[in-house]
This record gives sequence, C-alpha cells and structure tokens, in this order.
Amino acid sequence: MADQIYVVLVRKNREDPLRHIGSVHASDPELAKVYAWKTYDEERWFEMAVAPRDAFYPVNREEAPFDIVRRSAGSPEVA
Amino acid sequence: MTNDVRSTADFSSESQRALHDLILSLADSKRIIGILYADWVLGAPELEANIATSSISQDEWGHSRLLYALLKDFGEDPEKLEHEREPSEYRNIEALDQRLATWPQFVVANAIIDSALTVQLEALAGTRYAPLRQRVQKQLEEERFHEAHGAAWLRRLGNSSNAARSATQEALDARWSEVLHWFGPDDFGAAEKSDGLSDGTGGELRARFVERMTPVIQGAGLEVPSAELDFSGWDPASRRSNRTGPDPEAVARARGDRNRAFFVETAEPEK
Repeated sequence: MADQIYVVLVRKNREDPLRHIGSVHASDPELAKVYAWKTYDEERWFEMAVAPRDAFYPVNREEAPFDIVRRSAGSPEVA
Repeated sequence: MTNDVRSTADFSSESQRALHDLILSLADSKRIIGILYADWVLGAPELEANIATSSISQDEWGHSRLLYALLKDFGEDPEKLEHEREPSEYRNIEALDQRLATWPQFVVANAIIDSALTVQLEALAGTRYAPLRQRVQKQLEEERFHEAHGAAWLRRLGNSSNAARSATQEALDARWSEVLHWFGPDDFGAAEKSDGLSDGTGGELRARFVERMTPVIQGAGLEVPSAELDFSGWDPASRRSNRTGPDPEAVARARGDRNRAFFVETAEPEK
C-alpha cells in the first residue's frame, strides 16, 4: 500500500466555509483521518474532513490541485 | 442520573475498595502505556506517525492524571501515587511490563492493549459514581483515534511483507493471553455491576473485547491467538499474576525521577 496525499479540510464553526489547511501522507483513509486530526490539532474544529488529492480535478491551473509539493510529510504544503 | 453517588463515603467499604482498585489499575496502565508510546515519538516509520504517537502518548498521560486525581476521594495522595512508588507497586496490565522494542510491538500495544483499557473504560461510562463518569467521556473521545491508529497500522503491517506480518503475529501471540487475563474471572466485578458502578463482569468485558478485536485482527490478515485462561495466582486487587511490575526504567521515567533530581539541584536556598 503506497502512501498517497490526502488534503485536509476544516471549519472552526458551523457557519464558516470549509478551509484547506494542509495535507498528510497516508496509506489509507483511516490512517489519513487519524494523522490529520493529530497533526492539525491547533483548534477545536467543528468539522474536519480528508480526501485523496487525486479526487480533485484542476480547473484553471495546470499544476495538480492545491499545488502541493512533495516535501517532508505533515508540513503545511500550500504554495 | 438517578441514584448518582458523588462521594465515596456513600459506598459500602467493599464497593469503595473495588472501585479504588479498578481506577488505580486503569491509571497505572495508562501511565505506563503513555511512557512506552513515548519511546516511539521519534522512531515511528513516518513523520505523521511520529506526530500521532506523540499526541497519543500525551493523551494517555492526561488520562492517567485525571484518574490518579480521582483517587484523592478514596483517601489516596495522588502525588505519592504518581511519584513515589516502586515498580512492584504498579498495577498496570501485565501486557505492558515489557518495553515496546519494535514497531510491530508498538502497533500491537496500540491496537490491542490500549483497546482493552478502552473496553474497561466504556464499562464505566454510565457508572453512578458521578466524578468518574464525568472523566470517562473525554477519554473515550480521544481513544477513538488511538483505536483507529492501532487498527490501521495493524492492517498495514499485516498486509505488508512476510517479515512484517510474522513479527506482528508474534507480538500479538506474546501479549494476547495477558490481555484476556486482565479482565479477570468470569464473575469478577459482579457486585459492582449489580451496584450500578460498572456495566460488565470480567467475562462480559472479555467477550466484548474479543468480539471487537476479532474483525480487526482477521481484517489485517492475522490470526486471533488461542489462550487457556487460568486464574490461580491472579490477584483481584492488582489484576495481575506476577508482582514484579513494569520495566524499572519506564517507572523511573513515569515518576519523573530525573526531573526531581534536577529540581533538587536548583532548589537550594539562595544566599
């Protein structure tokens, strides 16, 4: 099971829009959920969700969605 | 909740003793597992796992503090419990006596031993001893993520190389029987159950644990070990069969021996 990149989306309050806060590398969605929850734990999130980055299709940019550069895992990687 | 009890003075002395022993066993198990997890904060196979391990380790430390503090109501001095006991006085689950020398051993502790503690904790979620009930909920919320982490890694190792799978099965085989024994004989805790303090006897909690772990283990391509239960020599107060206790180095770290040495050096009165 090769690792893949999961994007992490959060909102602090119910009325907030979902925000892309970063990403994690994980071998499956269950592990991605734990890694996301434990890595981006700076707030008491109303909601957090993860999705494989491959699930997103770029619309107006050639680069992969969210322009993630594969650097050290776990760090915020939004260009 | 009806029939809530807020003070231990309202319990029979038998109930007081049983609840005290149960809380201490959980507190010590959580303290020791937190210390053993901490060994892997820098050694896990990937950065995200390091972060998760660090956080899980801190969760366990926090849980044990909550539980030790509760024992004040039972006439204990939490400070002494946390910092002044010898390994032989610890009442942690025997499956945590050894260090977690390899990552598969860590994963088995995370997936199996931690989950056994959670099954016991869940049995207290509706306890009529209100101070305990109020402390259980937060712990259970955090344990959901511990369990998910353990299960995901068990699956990953079980579906990995033959070497990883056999090391994981070996770690599982080594600890399984100790975990099953920790729940006690089938009728252990029957009085506390009928008194509304807990919702399961030893046999019932063991069955819940096996039922929960079986799909996790089999889903990882591993085998549920077989175990012969034998409770001769099993002590109901410590829920242990041996009196040796956990690894002395782990206890020294749990007690904060080095912190105290440092504190003593700097606490000389200034002239």
